[in-house]
Amino acid sequence: MAKLHVKDFLTNFVKPLVAGGELHIGAPIPLPDLDRWDRELNDASVESVDVDDARVAVLSTLVCRPPAFLLEADELALAAGLHNALFLVHPRADQWSVSDRQRRKIIDTALAMVSQPLTHNRTRVMARHALLHKLMFLTRRDITVSWWTGRARFQGQKPPTRLTAWKGMRRVREEVTVVDFDELLAVPDTAPVIATLLRRTPLTQLLDAHPGAPPLHWEDAVFLLRDAELARAIAYRLVPDAPPREQIVGPARLAAAYEQMLERAPDEGDVRAVAAFLVHLNALFALAEINLREPGAKSPLISTVLAAEAAGQRPRGLATLLALPGALALVDPRLAMPPGISEIPALAQRWKVHRAQTTELLGDAVIDALAARLRRHFRHTMRDPSEVVQLPMPAPAEPAPTT
Amino acid sequence: MALEHVAQGQTRFFTPGVAPDPRGILLGRYAVMTFATLEGAVSWFRLYSSEASLDELLANLTVMKCKTALGGREIVVQIPAVSSYAADRAARLCRLVGGAVYTGTAKHFVKYRDDRSPYGYDAVDIGAMSAATDFMVHGDEFAQGYVREGDLPFQRLLFRLSIRKLPGGENLDGDDRGDLFLAVARGLSEGIIRYLWRNRVDAQAGLFTPGTTSAFEDQSRERGYMLIRVHALPERILQLFLGTPGIDVFRPAGATAAVAVGYEHPIDLASCSSVFAQDTFHVFWPNDRVDVLPGPLALSDIADLTRVDLEMDRPRDPAQHSGTPPEPIGVELKLAASMGPPRRVVATLIPSAHGSRLKRILFALPPVSLRGHRVAATDRGILVIGSENLDVIPLGQLLCELTPGLLVPLGMDVVPRVTPEVLARALGHTAGIVTVFTTDGRPFQVSEGSFATLERRSLAKMEVDQAESVNYAAEAPADAEVVNDSVGRFALWGYPDAPDRKQLPPGK
Repeated sequence: MAKLHVKDFLTNFVKPLVAGGELHIGAPIPLPDLDRWDRELNDASVESVDVDDARVAVLSTLVCRPPAFLLEADELALAAGLHNALFLVHPRADQWSVSDRQRRKIIDTALAMVSQPLTHNRTRVMARHALLHKLMFLTRRDITVSWWTGRARFQGQKPPTRLTAWKGMRRVREEVTVVDFDELLAVPDTAPVIATLLRRTPLTQLLDAHPGAPPLHWEDAVFLLRDAELARAIAYRLVPDAPPREQIVGPARLAAAYEQMLERAPDEGDVRAVAAFLVHLNALFALAEINLREPGAKSPLISTVLAAEAAGQRPRGLATLLALPGALALVDPRLAMPPGISEIPALAQRWKVHRAQTTELLGDAVIDALAARLRRHFRHTMRDPSEVVQLPMPAPAEPAPTT
Repeated sequence: MALEHVAQGQTRFFTPGVAPDPRGILLGRYAVMTFATLEGAVSWFRLYSSEASLDELLANLTVMKCKTALGGREIVVQIPAVSSYAADRAARLCRLVGGAVYTGTAKHFVKYRDDRSPYGYDAVDIGAMSAATDFMVHGDEFAQGYVREGDLPFQRLLFRLSIRKLPGGENLDGDDRGDLFLAVARGLSEGIIRYLWRNRVDAQAGLFTPGTTSAFEDQSRERGYMLIRVHALPERILQLFLGTPGIDVFRPAGATAAVAVGYEHPIDLASCSSVFAQDTFHVFWPNDRVDVLPGPLALSDIADLTRVDLEMDRPRDPAQHSGTPPEPIGVELKLAASMGPPRRVVATLIPSAHGSRLKRILFALPPVSLRGHRVAATDRGILVIGSENLDVIPLGQLLCELTPGLLVPLGMDVVPRVTPEVLARALGHTAGIVTVFTTDGRPFQVSEGSFATLERRSLAKMEVDQAESVNYAAEAPADAEVVNDSVGRFALWGYPDAPDRKQLPPGK
């Protein structure tokens, strides 16, 4: 059997993964082949340039000037690991000829491939995101063909024509089911591979989300908030022009991750950075209502998402997201309001309305509890001078000697 | 017999057939005027016609000769009381000529209002009227019954009246002379027409024969005459015609009558034109003669009536004259050195061979200098005409302007030195043509339409591509779909174990 060239892998898997199309899943890729492909990359300049161009096109809506990319071995390994993970849900992988040991070997190989070093390099982060930005949106068309004497299911495969011929006479019926991330990459075999893979592309985790995807670890992604352009792009992607319930899904997810972060022992700077970012998202909610006919009217967004009758439908993290400015005002007022809001009177008025409405709907107890959690991490806050300055105390009087 | 003064707002009266008009004045359907003599009635007609139109009264106007119970005779004029305003005028004029005026409808007529009773009078005691009495009038102190003896038609009265000589009536002012009629005897008509035509008097003429109903009229006698309508007749000709026997001058009185100049009908004929039939034209002569001509008058322009002399026995054939062309006396136009001061340079004629130099100059010249210049490429060279001084182009033969559009070389003049107008006519030079004299040949002409502005001509025709708009919007990424390829039954045979090594780099 002829060994697969990297050109084929780039054409059939990597490019559709970036630009869309059909991702062809073949036999699992062993590590020696990956090493060979790394060497063959120089011979696949056309295909690799196609992939790089597609990645630039993906990032063109995110940053003004996408950097120049060059497909490298680590990105090829990430793609190969994803391919192997997807092979685990290949119908052939469930056949009798594939033993549990072999599946274990594939999982281990995929884990080994995706366990590339974490990176804080801006270009590399963007390159990985461009490569894997469709990870949570991969789908597969499963077709169930039933005929008069039987039925067969084809997962991501086209049914043979012998089964679909004579539709009328054989009473052939085809049912198409589209399966997504949950059934492809959130199954027990693939979940660890995907969790490892997603930690390598924090930008993808910030921008996109799926209920079945592993939760975000802010410690891995907080460095992106220190890049103004990327932070702005993330914020604008998280607050779409959509109905209120859809508008708060992304920010609430990040706020839920922030709650988890507070339970760990993160760096104080990271806690502050994420808090400032979430407060900035709150400011975007206020900015969207700057043109309301009545500037002092209650916010329709907050009224909708914090409505008492919809309390059971609140996404996780929503209360933390909206209570954060109030809690920060108690802990560190510098972070409680994004700078510059007071310079726009209409925005400042909406901000006040939002805060008052949030306090009214959530209650002071929620804000105080969040403030208490934050206070544990904000060690360098301004302390009471009475704690710092030791005032001279009068010496206790000597007991009189007894005779 | 007593009359009561009608009070304001009174609506019920003893007199039958009377009622208050909108002003509250008692008024019947008719007004009756009694005159002691016919002259009084005529005087009333004369006065009334001069103030108002009799035509509105003529429809129900009746002139009667009546007799009183005592045997006295009176002339009674009955007119319709159209309104109290018309009745007021009739009453005023009636009293002016010594008559009395009453108003009523059928048989009882009561005194019309006067100064003592502004709303009129009502006859309180109206008794029975004798059967012989036709109608009765009620005055202040009397009630008079009248018996109708006979009618006097207004038309007959009109024609029985003689026209009267007016002192100084022959002297007509310009407006009166604007439209006159001449009745010319047949023998004079030709000469008068020629005279009028010669004096450029606008006139129309027609031959008319007065109608007659007399059986004793001599039918063989020629009674007709030429009636000429003249417009704006000069005073001297009018006086000439007035003094010429056989010519009578008439002034129109309305559309259907004319009265001899110097005379006047007692009643204004224009105010009673309805008396005259529309298909007649009445000519009132002196001495009570009235000619009735067929109307409306059909007249012809006298310019077509002048005499034509035709000698049939000596036909004049058009003669053919042959002659030699006249001896040429003109001299050829030449260019000579000008004696006068140098003129302003307005154009230049550049040989076609120097076109490349002109191009180079156009590149060098500032846009301000190019503006306003026009250029035409001819077979005699490139002609550049400037709106101002054209000495910025030091090429070709500089030209100055003799007259608009007529160009001669600088420092030259055309001899013989005729005026520019004569020169232009001789050359056929008109507006829209530029005529250029050159030192080396005959002059030539260029149409103004062949000139183009130098700025436009200095640019070669450019091909301009049409750019297509490009959509730079990011394409929506296509969906990524997993397709499982066939991998065979034993695809994992020989699949190596995963390396037992840590892929992550060693920690710090």
